[in-house]
Amino acid sequence: MSKSSVLDVIKSKSVVVLTLICLITGGMLAVTYNLTRERIAEAEQAEINQALSEIFPSAEFVEENDYYMALENGELIGYAMIVEGRGFGGKIKAAIGIRLDGTIQRVRVISHSETPGLGSKVAGDEFLAQFEGKTLEELKLKKEGGEIDAVTGATISSRAVVDIVREELQKMMGRLAEAQE
Amino acid sequence: MKFQEFTKGIIKNNAVFALALGLCPTLAITTSVENALGMSLAFAFVLISSNLIISALKRFIPQEVRIPCFIVIIASLVTAIDLFIHGYSPTLYEHLGIFLPLIVVNCIILGRAEAFASKHSVSDTFLDAAGVSVGFALAIISVSAIRELLGSGTIVIFGHEVVPAFTSSPAVVMLLPPGAFLTIGILLALLKRAKVI
Repeated sequence: MSKSSVLDVIKSKSVVVLTLICLITGGMLAVTYNLTRERIAEAEQAEINQALSEIFPSAEFVEENDYYMALENGELIGYAMIVEGRGFGGKIKAAIGIRLDGTIQRVRVISHSETPGLGSKVAGDEFLAQFEGKTLEELKLKKEGGEIDAVTGATISSRAVVDIVREELQKMMGRLAEAQE
Repeated sequence: MKFQEFTKGIIKNNAVFALALGLCPTLAITTSVENALGMSLAFAFVLISSNLIISALKRFIPQEVRIPCFIVIIASLVTAIDLFIHGYSPTLYEHLGIFLPLIVVNCIILGRAEAFASKHSVSDTFLDAAGVSVGFALAIISVSAIRELLGSGTIVIFGHEVVPAFTSSPAVVMLLPPGAFLTIGILLALLKRAKVI
């Protein structure tokens, strides 16, 4: 056997093994994904339902286009929506409740990938409780003339949540004004 | 099986303080003891299972493609664990979810695969991985306890106040990146001085 053909055998063995490992792990990942897909979707839906019922505790929700109408004894008491926006570390997914008078009922962060221990505090009650009852004009960070205190060390994450909520409120109010005309 | 394979990773060859590996997650997540506990658990799980697989496959993996093989195995395992926890235990996912993607960039896992698991038996690898996990847990829990105590003025673990709030104006800088460098630097200096490592 010549020198180059020995080299070829070594090379081909590494190629075969690496290909095999990639194929097997890839296959296992595909199986895991399929096994867990439904359960993950269910878990995510449960999270959304949980967030909605925390916002309007005694209401029933009727899905309407891309938002939910919150009904209590058949009467409209507000709107809720699930929105996504960009945070500091990735997507922030939040549930927002809006009262009929155009103020915020409550905000819940469903998922995020902000820095653990710092930005992750924007999902905490202490930060989110500030949103309750705020109007469109008040929905800015204090240092930008609004009424919301940023989480220490996490201005970008705080601003991201405030922006998501403000934009959504603006959009919803525009839509309601249109509907009234 | 040699029991010293377990003990050496805890203090003498501590991954964080003696080998200065895994500093990125140590700096990033040690803002609360709760985070450190979550990270320790997820880390131990991934390190032990991935290194066992690598040790079992060591004769099968050619020398020249070992690194890509290790990375593929570790990354797939982390992804699979992430999917399983998300689907089957949403509450656990809420606590561990943010740490799992961070583990992929944890060089200790690849480091142990390369330095130990690819050269030793499965049983020794288990002891080594368990010891390194305990050492990593000790390191990040001690760093996070100092940072949370000084930076938040209290230590709260899963809703239980372990150390009640003792000040209304904690040193928030300890929760920020400089606090992480300060804590790790001072701890490292003290451990060197005391000749522990």
